[in-house]
Amino acid sequence: MPLFSFVLRRILQMIPTVVFILVVTFVLVRLLPGDPASAMLGDRAIDADVQRINASLGLDKPIPVQFLYFLKNVFIGDLGTSIALKLPVTTIIMQRLPVTLMLTLMAALLALVLAVPLAFIAALKREQTADALIRGTFQVGLSMPVFYIGILMLTVFAATLKWFPVGGYGETFGDRLYHLFLPALTLAFSFSAVLMRNLRSSIIGVINAEYVDFARAKGLRPRIIMIRHVLRNALISTVTLFGLQIGTLFGGAVITETVFAVPGAGRLMIDSIYGRDYPMLQGLTIALAVLVSLTFLATDIFQAWLDPRIAR
Amino acid sequence: MKKIAKAALAAVLLVGASLSAAAVERGGTMTYGRYADSLFLDPVLNDANVDIWILSNLYDTLLLPTDDGKGVQAGLATEWKVADDGMSVSLTLRDGIQFSDGSPIRPADVAWSLKRAANKDNGIWNFLVSSIDDVTTEGEKTVVLKLKHPDPAILAALTVFNTAILPQKVFEAAAGATDADKAKAFAEHPVSSGPFVLQSWDRGSTMKLVRNEHYWGKGEDGKPLPYLDGVTFEVLPDDATRILKLNSGEIDGAEFIPYSRVEELKSAGNLNMELFPSTRVQYVTMNARPQIKGKDNPLSNPKVRQAMNYAVNKDAIIAIVTHGVGKPLTSYMSSATPMHTGDKPLYAYDIEKAKSLMKEAGFEKGFDTSILVLAGNQDEIGIATALQQMWAELGIKLELQQVDNATRTQQYRDGVFTMRESAWTDDIADPNEITSYFVYSPTIDALHTGWKNEEADKLFDASQKEIDPTKRAAQYARIQEIYNGDGPIVPLYETPYPVALSKKVHGFLQIPLGNNFFGRAWLDK
Repeated sequence: MPLFSFVLRRILQMIPTVVFILVVTFVLVRLLPGDPASAMLGDRAIDADVQRINASLGLDKPIPVQFLYFLKNVFIGDLGTSIALKLPVTTIIMQRLPVTLMLTLMAALLALVLAVPLAFIAALKREQTADALIRGTFQVGLSMPVFYIGILMLTVFAATLKWFPVGGYGETFGDRLYHLFLPALTLAFSFSAVLMRNLRSSIIGVINAEYVDFARAKGLRPRIIMIRHVLRNALISTVTLFGLQIGTLFGGAVITETVFAVPGAGRLMIDSIYGRDYPMLQGLTIALAVLVSLTFLATDIFQAWLDPRIAR
Repeated sequence: MKKIAKAALAAVLLVGASLSAAAVERGGTMTYGRYADSLFLDPVLNDANVDIWILSNLYDTLLLPTDDGKGVQAGLATEWKVADDGMSVSLTLRDGIQFSDGSPIRPADVAWSLKRAANKDNGIWNFLVSSIDDVTTEGEKTVVLKLKHPDPAILAALTVFNTAILPQKVFEAAAGATDADKAKAFAEHPVSSGPFVLQSWDRGSTMKLVRNEHYWGKGEDGKPLPYLDGVTFEVLPDDATRILKLNSGEIDGAEFIPYSRVEELKSAGNLNMELFPSTRVQYVTMNARPQIKGKDNPLSNPKVRQAMNYAVNKDAIIAIVTHGVGKPLTSYMSSATPMHTGDKPLYAYDIEKAKSLMKEAGFEKGFDTSILVLAGNQDEIGIATALQQMWAELGIKLELQQVDNATRTQQYRDGVFTMRESAWTDDIADPNEITSYFVYSPTIDALHTGWKNEEADKLFDASQKEIDPTKRAAQYARIQEIYNGDGPIVPLYETPYPVALSKKVHGFLQIPLGNNFFGRAWLDK
């Protein structure tokens, strides 16, 4: 039962985190210079229109009053109406967040598929040509900006070789996976570099541990030693890193979504900041905060499974 | 001799017309890459170009702008007459016009739509039709606009997106208690009067329009418009992606081609790089108040502003920033705006004159000042960096303050900015909109600069009621003379709309006001 109470504890810890993020977001967006009506109407706005629109949005009320209204509505699951898109925030989030989620998941999977085997090869062939080659290639991935990798991928694999569409988002599920492959690969490139380097050094550390020597002396088969003893122990720090990096991956998605014209939550977030679309911004932040917290939770659970001492 | 020439010209035109008529092909869907998605498809309550520039494909107006954007032609109305005293306009509706649901477009729909557009509580565009006092109907086909005062721009206003005709019954039956709520519901599945109908809209990604089977327009082949079965808008915010997609044939057209890529695409064999004439002007706004936040402001001195204008080498900026696509301004309004005057570039580069003006103004050694620049916007940063170097010649130290748009707008509206970069596009084929913002102080203090000229204000007031075109043109000539002489701006350049189209696209048009017309577009099979 220690795992169950551990999970319960972690879920309870999530609540104050999300509430804290809620308050900070609510206050911060209102501290930004400018207001939704001015941002919406632009340079041509005349005072009367700005006041009329801000009043219709309830923004003429004191901030604490606005916050109470907001809290009340959040509790009944109403995140308000987007000022720019004039649709319920929850409707838009349900449309856009799954896109980013799918993109991030695909990128994470691709990153794992790339990083784990290559980290093994690099660790086992330490300081040999294969190791240098693998590390060198990932170093390039790590040092190139995401938008540049994106444009390169589009130019080579989409526009020239025509293996993939040049950006956009398909209509059926399969079509969407196909459209998201290149952007996911772009994201995965730098992500897997971080994972690969970390996993490689962990494997090198573990491979020389005494319990591995013992397992070898016991006569266990090399594959069993690698999977049960080396990988399981080497993964612990990589899983932490993986969880933490998922948050960064959401951030990278903003740029990738723009370059690949993917209608995800990242682009929506940027547009909402520029447009001072308070309800949209608050809604998105809550959704992302919950998602990232859930990722951390999953990371912790996985870690506890890898190393049961953590849950105690 | 003249008659023969005319006959010859007519013959050439006829042959040309019949040739093109024979060439028109029907069917197909045109895919167009846009830099940003639309936000809200209500003609009255929208507030952004991303909506305005495509609305005319969905909603028709009583009159339509001519292709050069300067005149009017028949739309839902076939005849129009302004009363001799200028106090009313009567319009005759076209026979048999219908909304996209097949119901007739009645004078009552027209009256209701125009009253909604003119309502002061609705949206931000009602000033364009603020002269409308009442709209009445006579019989089955006539609509009469009663005006509060003669309005020389009323016909032009009847071509603007906010005077589009909507079906009153459908709109009023939409869910919601207020006009704004009903508009939200209606705009999700609008019933159209224009050449296309909204089929689906995947926000942030694609918008699909299909032909309106009930549209009144006739094509060159005598059959109903539009030629296309549909138009699909794809939202492609990244310039490079938009161009790659066009090059790979996945889309048929792309808007807002960056100036730096125009030359390259002109030589691409599979594309037509179009530069549609526009009303877009780029300029620097200077705060002309004697003090800003308690500090003396040298820019309040007209001689300083003139000196800074002469010290700017516009040709160099046009070459650096627009890669030669732009041209120098000859007035604060674009040359595509009706009643524009001026044939010489304003403030041709003259550094000696600039220096002597600075000396006369008592600023021989220059001063420190600043400019707000949109963070990350390469064009704006390019212009500001060039200005920094050019004004250094006068001893002026220019600090670049990079901010986001909402922050800049706030400082601008509060009148506490020093300088900023701006661009403007007209929404109406009349000089009154740009002049009311740039010159006429009651609107927004002449671009929030605090600049004020009694004569210009009076001339503008008079021009808003002057129905004699010659007299009105003379008023505008004088307004331009005053403002171009010591106004609070540095006019930089005017640019066309750069649109790249596949060679198989024909008949697509973007008018100087920015509106994209797909109604006469067609594709080679």
